[in-house]
Amino acid sequence: MTVTEASRDAAAEAAATATPSTPPTGLAAVVGSGDPRTIGKLFVGTSLLFLVASGVAGALVDFELADASGSEIFEPDTALRLFTLHSTAALFLGVLPLLIGLATAIVPLQVGAPTVAFPRASAAAFWVWLVSGGIVLASYAIDGGPWGTESDAVGLYILGLIAVSVALFVATASVVTTVLTLRAPGLTLRRAPLFSWSVLVGGTGWLLTLPVLAAMLLITYLDLRYGQQFLGGSGGVYNRIAWLFWQPTLYLVAVPALGIVADVVPVFAQRRHHKHGAAMVLLGLAAALGVGAWAQTGVTIDGGATVPWLNEGPWIAVSFLAIVPVLGLFGLWNLTLLKGKVKVGTPLILAQLGALAVLVGVAAGGATAIEDLDLDGTTWMTAQAVLVLAGALLAGLAGVAFWAPKLYGKLLPDAVVRLGATVLFLGAFVAAVPLAIAGTLGQVRLATADILGAEAGTIPGVSGGDVDTVEVLDLIAGIGLAVMVFGGVLVALALLKRRPGEGPGDDPWGGHTLEWATSSPPPIGHFAALPEITSEAPVYDARHAAAGTTEASA
Amino acid sequence: MATTATDLELFSQAPPAPPARPRVLLIGTAIGAGAAALVVLTLIAFYAGLRADVIASGEVWLPEGTNLQLTPGGMGMATLAISLVTVAWIVQALRNEDRGHALMASAVTLVLGAAYINVAAYGWQQIGLGITSSPQALLIYTITGLHVAMAGVGMLFIAVMAFKAVGGQLTGRAAEGMSAAALYWFVTVATYSVVWYTITISK
Repeated sequence: MTVTEASRDAAAEAAATATPSTPPTGLAAVVGSGDPRTIGKLFVGTSLLFLVASGVAGALVDFELADASGSEIFEPDTALRLFTLHSTAALFLGVLPLLIGLATAIVPLQVGAPTVAFPRASAAAFWVWLVSGGIVLASYAIDGGPWGTESDAVGLYILGLIAVSVALFVATASVVTTVLTLRAPGLTLRRAPLFSWSVLVGGTGWLLTLPVLAAMLLITYLDLRYGQQFLGGSGGVYNRIAWLFWQPTLYLVAVPALGIVADVVPVFAQRRHHKHGAAMVLLGLAAALGVGAWAQTGVTIDGGATVPWLNEGPWIAVSFLAIVPVLGLFGLWNLTLLKGKVKVGTPLILAQLGALAVLVGVAAGGATAIEDLDLDGTTWMTAQAVLVLAGALLAGLAGVAFWAPKLYGKLLPDAVVRLGATVLFLGAFVAAVPLAIAGTLGQVRLATADILGAEAGTIPGVSGGDVDTVEVLDLIAGIGLAVMVFGGVLVALALLKRRPGEGPGDDPWGGHTLEWATSSPPPIGHFAALPEITSEAPVYDARHAAAGTTEASA
Repeated sequence: MATTATDLELFSQAPPAPPARPRVLLIGTAIGAGAAALVVLTLIAFYAGLRADVIASGEVWLPEGTNLQLTPGGMGMATLAISLVTVAWIVQALRNEDRGHALMASAVTLVLGAAYINVAAYGWQQIGLGITSSPQALLIYTITGLHVAMAGVGMLFIAVMAFKAVGGQLTGRAAEGMSAAALYWFVTVATYSVVWYTITISK
């Protein structure tokens, strides 16, 4: 048992005896910690660093594409590998772990649990993720990664990514199990806070997805090691993982992000979430539609690629249906805000920006299912991924700002966070819109081998007359990604600062759910005692009961 | 454990809630076992898809010289099927606080698990394919190897829980650990039934 870990039994015992504990300090407090708050903070901080690396790689690639006359910065294969680094890091080392980290720290508080279900497994998951994420990035430095020329380094990339998948799976399983088993008495699933619910349904989607990814990576590794018989060697690696970067699997990342927005909006509207049950159904629908392991590129025995699902019934249905839950949630949030007494706060602004980016990204996905538009396989899909991931990131940052009192024991400085998030939001659209337009002009998604065979002065998929236009569009997209990096760095720097003035207090926003019923930061074990929970907003109810007010008069 | 002003103020009138009895290990094991099964089943789906394509093109799936015998696979399935009874016997014995029977059933289950691994290894010896000889061989070795690894983890799980039972930690209502191990084993056997049917029976 690590020194800062609160096991379920130990935490309950500590709560009963109210014995003060002496937390360790220094390196021991970080490396040896099984405290979900510490693990969550580690996930959030390191994922932001990985995101900066991802953004820099993406911007460099777009700048490279801005001149089709010849390789100005990199060789084509280097640009191709950099693009895979950009996308791999954005999803597996950036947005997804950020959301998992936030969930690790916040979900136990929301459901009234003393800790996560498997604190040691969560801690191990973080360290495995960190080391294997480093291995994935390091493999690129020694000619590894998809389309790498050094077979051993390509193998290292695959093994690193398998370890990343396993680590993210374990961390997700720990949080999902927490929601399923460690809820406070009376806190039925129907009354679960919407972020916790979104982690449960979205996390379940990831639990169904990550093992599939690990299996495909494993067979790819074995094929690479034993004769490269049918999966295309290093050139086939990206085909095995590319399905995670397009719909419907891409939408799974957005589910916990939407859950964050759903928890932030009612607090700043100062009323209950309108139709809490409907919001749960919509989040569940979003997660169900996002389970998309079926929509991956298949292979034939001689190494050919197959996509039998493309432009077929399920693909078209999911592409359009995915808009329904996001639009529905938007409607509920607007009603909540309209019926409430809105106080503007940084988390609300970030949450709205994030939700808007997700909505536009999901709507863009619907267009790819219109066969006549011929957008599949073009940079339109890249633009869609940029918007959905940026939206999820913004909503995740909204969560960081919202729960900063619980995570860091402080409020983040408003001005820097708002500026950084706005820059990030604008950068996402400056990056995505030109890529989408380039997609309509036929520019193929970069992660294909087409770029390797492109002649100087041509862009794969683009007719001769449009090459100059697409070059300019790629330049603007590169600038957009650079702007996103700048915004991300601003927000990351804000984590190191605190809002001037007094401490945050236990409940600076007037929160609704259980995390606001304990101190900021929470003690190990989280709660001394909890009563039977009777609604989805117990702190909101308790506050109004104490004040003798009703929702109508609140 | 520090109590805070906030929770005391907000909930001072409320009676304390009764303690819950979480089934954390069982749920966690269900998720882990499901993931292990999903890894194997993903490759089975991959295998079946490739095979269907090859057969649809009028070619033969298994390479010439392949000796994929029914007997080892069938024996493996029968062995694992019997182990379902013995693993249920362990759980029932622990619920009845009968440690003697629980240990005996654990030992029999572990022997059956070892017999399955033995028969799988025999099947690999007989198949007559090198792992680098064809995609079919690579897939067969990967899928069956992964399943043997899954069974090995299950045996380790049962062994650890059996040791805990020896120490008196798993009796009566506290037998959740062994129930979790049994659940994992059930999933392992169910997964093998798919592997067996897809690779050995339908070839």
